[in-house]
Amino acid sequence: MDFSGLLDILQRYVFNIANLQGMLRLATPVVLAGLCALITSRAGILNIAGEGMILFGAWFGVAGSYFFRSAWMGLLAAMLSGLVVGGLFALFSLKFRAHIIIMGIAINIFANSATIFLTREVFGVAGAFSDPNIAGLPPIEIPILKDIPVLGPLLSGYTFIVYLAWILVALTYIFLYRTPWGLHLRAVGENPQAAETLGINVQRVRFGAVMASGVFASLAGVYLSLGHLQMFTEQMAAGRGFIGMAVNTFGGGEPVGVFFSSLLFGIVETIGWRLQGERIMPVYFISMLPYLATLLALTVFTLRKQQAKKAALERAAHEA
Amino acid sequence: MTAAVEMLGIRKVFPGVVANDNVDLSVEEGEIHALIGENGAGKSTLMNVLFGLHHPEAGAIKIRGNEVHIRKNADAIALGIGMVHQKFKLVPSFTVAENITLGSEPRHRGVFTDRKAVHDSVMEISQRFGLQISPDARIQDLPVGVQQRVEILKALYRQADILILDEPTAVLTPKETRDLFGVIRSLVANGKTVIFITHKLREVMEISDRVTAMRDGKVVGVTKTSETNPTQLARMMVGRDVLLRVTKTPAQPKDVVLQVRDLQVFDDRNLKAVRGVSFDVRAGEIVGVAGVEGNGQRELVEAIVGLRPAWGGEIKVKAKNLTTLNVRQRREVGVSCVPEDRYVRGVALPASIEDNLIVSNYFKPPIAQGPLLKPDVIARHAQEMIETFDVRTPSKDVPAYALSGGNLQKVVLARELSAQPDLFIAAQPTRGLDIGSIEFVHRQIVNARDRGAAVLLVSAELEEIMSLSDRIVVLYEGKIMGTIEGARATEEGLGLWMAGITEATPEVAGSPEVARQLVAH
Ligand SMILES: Nc1ncnc2c1ncn2[C@@H]1O[C@H](COP(=O)(O)OP(=O)(O)OP(=O)(O)O)[C@@H](O)[C@H]1O
Ligand SMILES: [Mg+2]
Repeated sequence: MDFSGLLDILQRYVFNIANLQGMLRLATPVVLAGLCALITSRAGILNIAGEGMILFGAWFGVAGSYFFRSAWMGLLAAMLSGLVVGGLFALFSLKFRAHIIIMGIAINIFANSATIFLTREVFGVAGAFSDPNIAGLPPIEIPILKDIPVLGPLLSGYTFIVYLAWILVALTYIFLYRTPWGLHLRAVGENPQAAETLGINVQRVRFGAVMASGVFASLAGVYLSLGHLQMFTEQMAAGRGFIGMAVNTFGGGEPVGVFFSSLLFGIVETIGWRLQGERIMPVYFISMLPYLATLLALTVFTLRKQQAKKAALERAAHEA
Repeated sequence: MTAAVEMLGIRKVFPGVVANDNVDLSVEEGEIHALIGENGAGKSTLMNVLFGLHHPEAGAIKIRGNEVHIRKNADAIALGIGMVHQKFKLVPSFTVAENITLGSEPRHRGVFTDRKAVHDSVMEISQRFGLQISPDARIQDLPVGVQQRVEILKALYRQADILILDEPTAVLTPKETRDLFGVIRSLVANGKTVIFITHKLREVMEISDRVTAMRDGKVVGVTKTSETNPTQLARMMVGRDVLLRVTKTPAQPKDVVLQVRDLQVFDDRNLKAVRGVSFDVRAGEIVGVAGVEGNGQRELVEAIVGLRPAWGGEIKVKAKNLTTLNVRQRREVGVSCVPEDRYVRGVALPASIEDNLIVSNYFKPPIAQGPLLKPDVIARHAQEMIETFDVRTPSKDVPAYALSGGNLQKVVLARELSAQPDLFIAAQPTRGLDIGSIEFVHRQIVNARDRGAAVLLVSAELEEIMSLSDRIVVLYEGKIMGTIEGARATEEGLGLWMAGITEATPEVAGSPEVARQLVAH
């Protein structure tokens, strides 16, 4: 076999700076969607509304930026929408006891039609809205680091939200494992009765978790609409809310796990873009790739876990 | 002397039940007060009221002489009341120290958990009260006895000086119970007051200073322990004389029904739990499996009924090999079982009593006709079972979770025994039951034997094993330590086998003193 050919392919599609940059960029909304899933799942809530929350974040990001001519205002508007949608979701499912899955589906459907409606009513266009007045988030060049070869281009020059996502991964870790509130959140997720009898307000902790998930999701959304091209497109969340849930499972509910699983998603999506340029496969097939990869990864992951268990059994049988 | 706790005229109503009806309870400072009563008498409810988990419709509570209003759990904690529930409330993946300090953990610069302080304060408190514990162990890796210690420490960490223990010994081994009693005594020596709920009169006699007995939501008697005896307590609780010992005729063993040969079974952690066990059970005899819990009993039972694969060996019932059959097929062969955890495997909690009574035979006549169920037959069946087994319930349609432990167990027994099994397995059949229900269950087990069933009784209660079994096998670390006729076994001797000491034979275990010391180690 001709390994130099393989090497060439690897270099072209995976290991070059542009691809790795693409990976980090494309992984960013997935990281944030993953954190959205993580913070709720660790509090014992099955939140499937991430998709809708992302969509709202994307829309309000564009709207804020367009009307105030400032990307930062867009960011703020998006985060506010995340808080409001998260708050409503929490209010209905936790306080009024609406079924959490039904509520999640409702939010997703509502987000879809509401953003279509708003785009038409407010901007007077259908499908997609872009305008030179929408301010994008500027890239941030990190001094000193940016001049180092390889590392410079790899780590410097992304928009604010990319770095924010990295910071949030670390902060979420610190929150979960180093602060009393994180401890409470995990206790509430694992044994709410135990938490309750110790005077922890389970309802309040869960409320907070859902609000936080709204903010994480809205950041993912704003990255989609302002991070690259300044544009809102209908259904632009494109399943990332659900991919976030997959990534959270794959990452074992751990922030760092979520980060690396998202990178996997990012690299596959990057390769997809590359392949689109080459025109060797139908575009629809290529855009399916990241989802296919997620499915595959989850399956392999589950199988591996089962196998490990079986192997342990076999070993134990031998020893005994 | 002022009372540490005074509850006056407490009334608590649940839909359809008056759980507490004008209940008075007075507990002196520094005493160990036993609270006894049949299943459903309202003991847990009363304590939940005191701990702020239930709100009474009427009544007043005084703590150390002052009238208090306990609106929520946190109020009770602030008043120095701590409670260890029947079902533990611990977070399995957290460490011991994290569980103990959860909700009021020491902080570091206001935002971070001060992990060193968490560790140290747990060490300090465990030393102060002489409750040994390793702060960094994870709850999921600890045996129940130690988990219970964590629950007690949790209360002590919150400066509880009135400690409520709701049936703390129900899940403990004899040794763990002894350790717990040591802990309770040292707590009282440190000025704490303890309220202790139990169904075991022997424990009441051993540890308590005074006893309050409840029946049907009312207090039916308060007495000093030194002025009473188990028979009197039993009568007070149940309202009639109770046989504290089973009466049965000698066994008439016939053909071998269950034949187990060199059985090997794994537990959930993939460790070998049953290591080459062989024994027989004949028709018309009760074989008791004794042993400290966790020595393979659960896995043994699950392997026989088909809930867990046998890794090696053979299980035969009436000469038919069971190992390749599924649960239903095994039941068809004639196996039935009262499972160890009645709430998980014994019944479907949200389903009605009626439905629970037919889950083992809903698919065949006379309950079903082709694909359809026959409601009138089912209703009649349920009514009949409720009467025969004396299930105390307002109707056959109430969900299983509304029944007290004893009545729930009667439903399970009714279902399992109405199948007229050839092999009847009863695993921990009286755990958590009151003495009246225990008497009933024991009579049913003996009846099944006399009808000609082979009975396999698994129990951690030595008393139960000894009073029911015609033959006793002792399991230790998944192996049979010894077999002995029921009539010849002594508690000390069995205790030695249960502790894994082989030299002694049960009937000649030397003086009881020596044996007791050996077991204690
Ligand atoms: N949350 C609840 N909802 C409805 N009924 C309840 C509830 N808790 C208890 N009951 C009912 O109140 C009565 C008293 O129950 P309680 O648990 O206090 O009895 P107990 O004396 O602790 O019994 P056991 O010895 O079985 O633990 C029972 O009839 C029970 O079915
Ligand atoms: Mg109780």
